[in-house]
Amino acid sequence: MLKSNLDMGNEAYTERAVASASIAELNDVSKLFGTVQAVSDMNLRIAQGEFLSFLGPSGCGKTTALRMLAGFETPTTGKVLIDGRDVSTLEPYKRPVNMVFQSYALFPHLTVGRNIAYGLKQRRPKIDSKSIDDKVTHALETVRLSGFENRRIWEMSGGQQQRVALARAIVNEPKLLLLDEPLAALDRKLRKEMQIELQDLQRDLGITFVLVTHDQEEALSLSDRICVMRAGRIVQTGTPQDLYDQPNSRYVADFVGTSNFFDGLVNQINGSTGSISLRGGRIYKSHLSGAISVGNDACLSVRPEQIRLHLSGTPETLEGKVLNRIFLGEHTEYLISQESLGNITVLAPRQSDEGLSNLGTGDTVYMDWSADAALILPKD
Amino acid sequence: MRLYAFCVYVFLYTPIAIIALFSFSAGRSASQLEGFSVKWYGRAVNNPFVMDALGNSIFVAFVSATLASILGTLMAVGLQGIRGPVRAFFDALIYIAVMIPGIVIGIATLIALVTVFDVVNPWVASFWADAAAAPKLSMGMGSLIAAHTMFTLALVVIIVRARLSSLEAALSEASADLYATPFGTFRQITLPLIAPAILAGFLLSFTFSFDDFIIAFFVAGSETTLPIYIFSSIRRGITPEVNAIGTMVMVASLILLIIAQLILRGGAKPKR
Repeated sequence: MLKSNLDMGNEAYTERAVASASIAELNDVSKLFGTVQAVSDMNLRIAQGEFLSFLGPSGCGKTTALRMLAGFETPTTGKVLIDGRDVSTLEPYKRPVNMVFQSYALFPHLTVGRNIAYGLKQRRPKIDSKSIDDKVTHALETVRLSGFENRRIWEMSGGQQQRVALARAIVNEPKLLLLDEPLAALDRKLRKEMQIELQDLQRDLGITFVLVTHDQEEALSLSDRICVMRAGRIVQTGTPQDLYDQPNSRYVADFVGTSNFFDGLVNQINGSTGSISLRGGRIYKSHLSGAISVGNDACLSVRPEQIRLHLSGTPETLEGKVLNRIFLGEHTEYLISQESLGNITVLAPRQSDEGLSNLGTGDTVYMDWSADAALILPKD
Repeated sequence: MRLYAFCVYVFLYTPIAIIALFSFSAGRSASQLEGFSVKWYGRAVNNPFVMDALGNSIFVAFVSATLASILGTLMAVGLQGIRGPVRAFFDALIYIAVMIPGIVIGIATLIALVTVFDVVNPWVASFWADAAAAPKLSMGMGSLIAAHTMFTLALVVIIVRARLSSLEAALSEASADLYATPFGTFRQITLPLIAPAILAGFLLSFTFSFDDFIIAFFVAGSETTLPIYIFSSIRRGITPEVNAIGTMVMVASLILLIIAQLILRGGAKPKR
């Protein structure tokens, strides 16, 4: 059970995941569409009650993975387990999971109430209509749409339709709630609201949520755990903080948050730290993450908020020229051109220093960062 | 170009307008307008041969449209799951079926049925004690309904399929996700959503069958439908009665076609 190594770089989480039962598993799952490998050798355990996200750009296999959990696709090889049962080839209508579709897929010829009751009405043995009504009423309350039973779908706004889709799924109390980019069609403000509602709902219901998204912000703010995917493979799985602080590759560091990457050559490794020589001859000591050995091409990743700005230089600082400055309120974002490293993004907190807060385009500035704040990552 | 288009319309609709106009003629001649009266309408409605032919036409049109709607819908739904060259092959067959001239279908059906009857009838008779009393298959209502069903089936398939392919695939998936069996999904989701297209297909089929002369002429045997009656009465000399019948048929057909169009348009997008 433990052989699948799914939590890289987080001992604490591994223990927690083992302690709570896993509700679903993907074991060596691959999916081919013709000759296209949509998902390759995917191994994942989804813990009971967690909020897990598949994060990646379009075409990375995240939706295929979700559809295999729902039963709309069967894995070419490997096994899908739900609640300990092999469901790899089980039809979708026999699986104890429900999905919220990206387009909502609400039935246009049925009222809101009958859309929500749809799943309950399919159950055999039949559920009596009184308890169906009660459950529908309760589900509508949960998504704050009480009294909308008799509305037509097209009379509802986008956000309301989203909630109906959610109610239609949760009313069945699924073992797993699958969400396929559910907020993609909403405007920004509504999306923020729905994110909070989703999180509350997940906590209150205790249902395991599996979300597919390409929006890193959404994944970071909602998930207990994120599974970053690329070209059909899992690149890294971990808590949002793990992924942000300990990315195992340049890809993850770039996809989760933003970062500056400086190419270089690894010239020394000492346990979990090492040093990298960058273009221009500078050598930086830093923590290593991911698979790296001496002599490899690698890159140094420094988050924009970790770079400090100074008005005067020392031998350790890098000199650069301000190319652009965007005032963001609490922070100011600078784009700084550095002779050998190229353009560097710096997110500086509001400065008390007169000189720094008056920095403008063309000014010379000096940068440094603490060794702990940077990471040496494999170049990919 | 506008003038040209105008001329085309005049050319197309003048004869029809004249028929409608002359049907109100009070005189005996079908090609001369003498006063105004609706007596030819009364004459047509009171003519037992006309009413008999009309009854036959309505019966044939209703049964064949019903059969075509059911079979065509099943076919469209069945084809929906198929992709690739097999699908392309069936698509081509359906469009060809619509384009084949009625006269070809008429002759082909006639020859095919006669051949089949020639084989089946002696075979059935051989089981009968009294061979002369054995039931015989022959041209008539049955063959007419069969031919019309075949002819209009393709229409229904095309209309229903257009509607089916405009349905979001996620709706069926959502239904399956909500524990509905494939048949449950068809009954509760697919069928209600394609119902307008089926109804439109039915009305179109009804109109086609009702108006059809060519196929009916070949396969109706001794039965008389309204178009066949009109044709034969023309040979006895045209009276304004024929004009009156023609006008009534035209108006009824137009109404059905317009209803079919309205249903199709209304069903395509729910009002917002």
